[in-house]
Amino acid sequence: MATVAEELQRSRKTKKVEDVGSIPQWKLMVRRFRQSRLSVVALGVLLVMYTLMILGDFLAPYPHDTLDSNATFTPPTQLVWGPEGLGVYGLKQELDTEKFQWYYTTDTSVIYPLKFFVPGYEYRLFAIIPMNVHLFGIDTPGDVDQKVFLWGADKEGRDLFSRVMKGAQVSLTLGFVGVLLSVTIGSIVGTASGYFGGAVDNIIQRMIELIRSFPDLPLYMALAAALPLNVPVLVRFFLITIIIALIGWTGLAREVRGKVLAFASADYTNAALAAGASHWYIITKHLIPNAMSHIIVVGMLAIPGAIGLETALSFLGLGILPPAVSWGVLLRDAQTIQAVVSYPWLLLPVACLIIAVLSFNLLGDGVRDAVDPYG
Amino acid sequence: MSESTTQTNSVAAALVSEDDVIRVQDLRLNFYTNLGVVRALNGVNFNIPRGKVLGVVGESGCGKSQTGLAIMQLTPSVGRYEAGQILFREFASKEPVDILKLDKNGPDMRKIRGNNISMIFQEPMTSLNPCYTVGAQIEEAILLHQTQDKTESRKRAIDILQKVGMPNPERIADSFPHQLSGGMRQRAMIAMALSCTPTLLIADEPTTALDVTTEAQILDLMRDLQNEIGTSIMFITHNLGVVAQMCDEVVVMYLGRVVERAMIDDLFYDPKHPYTIMLLRSIPRLGVNRDMRLESIKGSVPDPYSQVNGCPFHERCPSAIPGVCDTIMPDEIFVAGSQTHTVRCHLYT
Amino acid sequence: MLNYVLRRVVNMVVLLVVVSFVGFWIIQLPPGSILDVQINRLRQQGGNLPEAQIQALRERYGVDDPFLIKYWKWISRSVQGDFGTSFQTDQSVGERIFNRLGISLGLSLTALLFTWLVSIPIGVYSATHRYSIPDYVITFIQFLGLSIPGFLLALILLIVAAQLWNQPIGGLFSPQYADAPWSWGRFVDFVQHIWIAVVVLAVGATAGLTRVMRANLLDVLNMQYVQTARAKGLKEGIVIWKHAVRNAIHPLVMALGTLLPALVVGEALIAIILSMPTIGPLYLDALRTQDMYLAGTILVMLSALLLIGNLVADLLLAWVDPRVRLE
Repeated sequence: MATVAEELQRSRKTKKVEDVGSIPQWKLMVRRFRQSRLSVVALGVLLVMYTLMILGDFLAPYPHDTLDSNATFTPPTQLVWGPEGLGVYGLKQELDTEKFQWYYTTDTSVIYPLKFFVPGYEYRLFAIIPMNVHLFGIDTPGDVDQKVFLWGADKEGRDLFSRVMKGAQVSLTLGFVGVLLSVTIGSIVGTASGYFGGAVDNIIQRMIELIRSFPDLPLYMALAAALPLNVPVLVRFFLITIIIALIGWTGLAREVRGKVLAFASADYTNAALAAGASHWYIITKHLIPNAMSHIIVVGMLAIPGAIGLETALSFLGLGILPPAVSWGVLLRDAQTIQAVVSYPWLLLPVACLIIAVLSFNLLGDGVRDAVDPYG
Repeated sequence: MSESTTQTNSVAAALVSEDDVIRVQDLRLNFYTNLGVVRALNGVNFNIPRGKVLGVVGESGCGKSQTGLAIMQLTPSVGRYEAGQILFREFASKEPVDILKLDKNGPDMRKIRGNNISMIFQEPMTSLNPCYTVGAQIEEAILLHQTQDKTESRKRAIDILQKVGMPNPERIADSFPHQLSGGMRQRAMIAMALSCTPTLLIADEPTTALDVTTEAQILDLMRDLQNEIGTSIMFITHNLGVVAQMCDEVVVMYLGRVVERAMIDDLFYDPKHPYTIMLLRSIPRLGVNRDMRLESIKGSVPDPYSQVNGCPFHERCPSAIPGVCDTIMPDEIFVAGSQTHTVRCHLYT
Repeated sequence: MLNYVLRRVVNMVVLLVVVSFVGFWIIQLPPGSILDVQINRLRQQGGNLPEAQIQALRERYGVDDPFLIKYWKWISRSVQGDFGTSFQTDQSVGERIFNRLGISLGLSLTALLFTWLVSIPIGVYSATHRYSIPDYVITFIQFLGLSIPGFLLALILLIVAAQLWNQPIGGLFSPQYADAPWSWGRFVDFVQHIWIAVVVLAVGATAGLTRVMRANLLDVLNMQYVQTARAKGLKEGIVIWKHAVRNAIHPLVMALGTLLPALVVGEALIAIILSMPTIGPLYLDALRTQDMYLAGTILVMLSALLLIGNLVADLLLAWVDPRVRLE
């Protein structure tokens, strides 16, 4: 009584009277999930972020690695309403000879119009369709070399917005894939360990114990440092994913093993065996559905950590390496107080990272509460 | 509604003896949850005379435990008392206090808890704190209510442990709960509950989790101690056999209402309410024809979130009168010719 | 009990041997060594080492030895307290590590203390006021704390401290105190330098532990013995703190084992921003320059710290919980 009552206090207003017992389990989960509004918002935010990430090349006006010495540390471009609709003022780069800093003055006499669906660099949409159309760009006369920097430019004059879009493709997927992999390993190894027992179990348990005897971040760092440097970005991406998975699976494997052991001695297993069910049948029909929700929750809660890990490794120069970009690589530009005070827009990738990690944390929490309200 | 309430109260008032430790009048308790409102208690009336044992019987979810918790003001925080009084009188000469009027966690209520009214719970395995010794947990209550002196409290704790039949009270006092068996833990709980010689002991299914022999020992012990100390006991149980062994008087509860109350003999030999009758028929008995099937009550307790019109039992009642039982709530009335036996059923109006 | 501790210690030593083996193997995986890095640098500066001298250096550092011999050389010396000589600075590894490990450990312990002092009361409040507005606020701040990278927080605090309070930035001491003997002034200066690191280190851990404390306490509050304690007439505060919190505190004790090394390493990123001479940046540097003896030793020492932390946590747990103690 107490638990039900405690759990349900939050919406006193609900007056619905219906037979709670007749609602299917997943519907109850959805209903419980929708009650944690922050989690619902987080889910929405993540959907938007991943959509933007997929459309990244289309949205980004410039390649992420185009250097432009005339645009060093250009502040975010201000959009104005001109005669031809949205546009940007002309910019003039000047050198402050006292501080040795470039600064920019706007020339309000000219407005370069902002154009939509303009041709630009070549890319493949969804990694398949070759395209060169981009959402926006500005139209300048041939002799003026000016760009639109929605989020400003970095030291090399690269468009930060384009870089964040490109970096998202690494940062938002690497952690995800890493967790997927580690959850898969963890569940399989854990099931095997619990199911076979004996020597197999013993070896696996010793292995887990060994891996857990290393402090995790230093181990990740050592492994990442051992990766070959001269490989394509995609290969490095997968190598780091594998590193994340190789260490991350141990916790889940232990939990799954525990579940399998408990399950092996559970009454319903004996009942099923007595009724003539095979082990395979029991595993697929009873154990997996039983453990699945738990595994999903553990995975969800691990994603923000994995994203943070990639960022940390890249920040330390051990993860994704320039010229490739990830959010962690972008953070390297924002590590000195001088940079942040003078060019605060360099923190925009950090903001993206925080929003993504925060959303994953909130989502994971909501899912856990929905799936396992008393756990 | 209001009319019936007053009438009920008048019946209850007629029943009240002069020296009651507890008088519960028209107690209504709702739980506000996000699946709806649970009406846990819907006007509960009973009283416990000084030095007597009152049995409270019913199925799970009928509100018997919540009634006990309400007397202690330990209702979960989502619960709200909608109406009613719980009058507690420590001595015959003392003015009664309405427990529900006291601040839930205020000093007056805390002075009553553990000192004047104490409680034993169903699960002896979890009702003692695993981090402290049994002795320390008993002494805690004594130090709180009886004496400030540590050696004195220790002495009293060991005394009471001896009284509840612990073979080696000093050693038990220094043991942690997980080192004791279920029966021993329940004895320790009883010792803790009786350590301040309370006026009322609320025993919420104290033997349900124990095996039958241990149950018998614990019941004997409680009966003996009750005779010795003179504590009144509110004995909550779903086991009618235990009721027969322990109680002077019984109330039967169904869906947050008292449906029948009677002296112990009246209940067993002359049950009136169909629910009580069916409860009694569902107990196996010696000497009864072996071929006779044991009866069960068809259906189950209605969903707690819904509200049933009329008598809450009519859906399961074999003698329900169509058009009456499913529309009008019966009042609590005296069984003809009795001053102690009441029933809430249209069959007897 | 003594038996148990002994068994644990033996197990720990065995694990450490395996850890050192595996750890050293990982560290020496990348091809090349710091010697190549150094020689290249020399060449770039215009100097050139005679082949014979290079060969001498290679032999001295055992660069070309097979793995097992390298490992044996390193581990056998380590056991004798000689951790080898860092390639990079020619300083003894032991000296370089211990200086910095001391600072790291001190910082982390302070952060851990801070974590406990903050997360227990807040977790308790959050659990006992579940679904109230303050609980929601605390929950949101927790998630924010979990989600903000430590170095960013360090950066923000640095800016705030520097711009608003005109506080010194970076390092452990201001120049005038760097070599001075301990005095009140030096202590204040020290605190001004390290508080950001302590706070930043503690924030993530505090956010996590507060959450755990809240969840655990909520479980414990549903336990029968909490009701028993209330039924005795104890004050709600005593019920919560003496009876409930004591039973909910296990994960916080266990955190000692896992958090301490995590904190020690977690400051790697922060220390870079705050330019503090701690173990994190040293480890990172050793990895980058393939200074394998230095990196290997740090990795093994951190593992030792983790294992010792776990042991201490288990002993503390036995002290807190009689069920563990008497098993």
